[in-house]
Amino acid sequence: MRIDRFTERQKTATLKDKRLITISRYILVFILYSFSGAILAPASAQSNITYTLHVGTTGDVALLNDFPESYAGDKVNIKVQCTRYDVQRADSLDFVFANEGNDALRALGDSIYSYTDEQGVNWTVWQNKKEIKNRSKRVMIQNAYKTFEQYVRTNTAAAKRQTGWIWWVFAGLLLAGTAVYGGYIIYSRRKEKRLSHVEQEMLRRRRMGNRRHYGSQLYLWLLLLVLYAPIALIAVFSFTKSKILGNWTGFSFDLYVNLFSGRADAGLNSAIVYTLIIALVAAVCSTILGTLAAIGIYNMRARQRKAVSLLNSVPMINPDIITGISLFLLFVALGVSQGLATVCIAHVVFCTPYVVLSVLPRLSRMNPNTYEAALDLGATPAQALRMVMLPELWPGMLSGFILALTLSVDDFGVTFFTKGSGGLETLSTFIYSDARKGGLTPELRPLFTIILIVMLAVLIVVNIRAAREKDE
Amino acid sequence: MNKFLQIASSRRTWAWPYVLFMLLFVVLPLILVAVYAFTDIDGQFTLRNFTKFFTHSEAIQTFLYSVMIAVFNTLICLLIGYPAAYIMAMEDFRTPKVMAMLFILPMWINFLLRTVATVELFNMLGLPLGEGALLFGLCYDYLPFMIYPIYNTLQKMDTSLVEAAQDLGANKWQSFWKVIVPLSMPGVYSGIVMVFMPTVSTFAIAELLTHNNIKLFGSLIQDYITTTDLLNYGAVLSLVLLVIIGLTSFFGDNDAESAEKGGLV
Repeated sequence: MRIDRFTERQKTATLKDKRLITISRYILVFILYSFSGAILAPASAQSNITYTLHVGTTGDVALLNDFPESYAGDKVNIKVQCTRYDVQRADSLDFVFANEGNDALRALGDSIYSYTDEQGVNWTVWQNKKEIKNRSKRVMIQNAYKTFEQYVRTNTAAAKRQTGWIWWVFAGLLLAGTAVYGGYIIYSRRKEKRLSHVEQEMLRRRRMGNRRHYGSQLYLWLLLLVLYAPIALIAVFSFTKSKILGNWTGFSFDLYVNLFSGRADAGLNSAIVYTLIIALVAAVCSTILGTLAAIGIYNMRARQRKAVSLLNSVPMINPDIITGISLFLLFVALGVSQGLATVCIAHVVFCTPYVVLSVLPRLSRMNPNTYEAALDLGATPAQALRMVMLPELWPGMLSGFILALTLSVDDFGVTFFTKGSGGLETLSTFIYSDARKGGLTPELRPLFTIILIVMLAVLIVVNIRAAREKDE
Repeated sequence: MNKFLQIASSRRTWAWPYVLFMLLFVVLPLILVAVYAFTDIDGQFTLRNFTKFFTHSEAIQTFLYSVMIAVFNTLICLLIGYPAAYIMAMEDFRTPKVMAMLFILPMWINFLLRTVATVELFNMLGLPLGEGALLFGLCYDYLPFMIYPIYNTLQKMDTSLVEAAQDLGANKWQSFWKVIVPLSMPGVYSGIVMVFMPTVSTFAIAELLTHNNIKLFGSLIQDYITTTDLLNYGAVLSLVLLVIIGLTSFFGDNDAESAEKGGLV
């Protein structure tokens, strides 16, 4: 009896503790939500675009018609930088687009740009005919006299009015999150109450044993917050049609519609198509090549196997830039013109080792004699491969295939050096040239939000399958 | 025909196409890097490219700077990543798989896009782009590669060893420094290799994160190799990078591949 009362008292004590912890969790969630809101809201009130003209880099000539599309009233800050060899110059000026008047800039001639916008700002840009060290060209921007404080002020106010949206979104998220979390707590409480005394006591003891350290968990969550902040930025801003990331102009699905109706930038569309073609070709080729190789390696004698495994690990150890440059030199030496075919070959080179590594474990798990048994029973090697080996190997091949797909889609370094100068772009190289121009094609945001979700789904499926295999 | 069947049915030969492919597209290109480094533009043997490198102060400085940045980045990743991996492996989570997955997921998003997003984040928060942004971006991009191998080794570690140490009178710190840390060293080594090597050879990230103000060795190589008349000099720079990578992977032994394999799926 005494013992009973004792445990009863203890139980109420732990319940009180738990209530405290629950309350502190609510507060934490609230702080996190308002924190993220506080970051996003004031920032989206500005509509600043910084555009940097890179002069004297690989491309050498940066032209003004590389401007990102812009909205009327966006404040543009232009920096001109020359950072090659002994030249170090940086000019900076502020400029407000009076209208969506990029075309006016585009229409101008090659070497000298002069442009007077509707507010009377006079623009002159010229390239110095004199070349510095034969490599870089100087571009200077002059004559930006007026600043439009009034203009900027009204536009900033307009942008601020529009940010009301984001507060609603965050308030909604906060409410939804709190409701879900609270519901979960109440549900688990109920479930706990239905347990018998003994079970409750066992639960309590188990919890006491693996006490959670809230400080260290907080560390992980903060780290995840930092890791996901830029990604979340892309995902959040995929739901507004503003052309500049960071400029919230109201909720809309326009970018998604544009992406799927093919109204996005033509370069982006072809980049998506080429990325898919290359990834599929590379994944199929490397899966076939890698599976055959894995079977071969598995049946080799120890010394041979070691040599081939070493060869297999070379592309995995090599960083992208080395693989890319060495293949680039090979194609230059052979005089092959670089394009789709060379990119595909290069992708097969760095994908196949991973396929080999994901098929090998399946091989060591299967009975090595079944293949020979099939041959003895009159099957040809091809039949034995198809009917005996493949059913055993396909899970390994599938994960190798998926791995090859994602590696190929993700690759930048190797593609960059093997794509040639024929204008072939994959998503990665497209993003790179886009980012160097100073802006990001807005349709990339919904595209990568979708990719993020697909990746999440694939990872979940793969993990569930792995867990199930482990259980078996 | 019979002979062909015989060859085809000995499964050892199935790897031949792959071996040939690798010799042609992996070994030969690497040899070509060395060949280009030792020849001039007309294909004549010369050592002038090397002498040019050792007297070219911009290249040497960029090289040393890149190595320094890579060392710093590796250290920062280790300092941030080890506790994270330790907590993930040791703490009792309701859903440990999801936690681990959350840390890998960013690796699967195009790193250029992540970098661009980081730049935008810095712009939004009004932070200046420069060395700080470069280190943050690099750390952000490569942190998962540090966390994963360490997490893997810590998770596979036999926890009864820690209990044994505590039974024998070690306190928490002693059991951490004398049992857990030495046991996790393979993971730490492969984490270091997996962060250091890509950082030292990175070439697109630095340009984006610093508005082209800071040039790393990778960007320098890219500049020279894409300029036709300086291609041979670019090959010398690549060779230097290759030597560094060879040294690092020698230091990390073969752990890199197993960790990479474990870290990806």
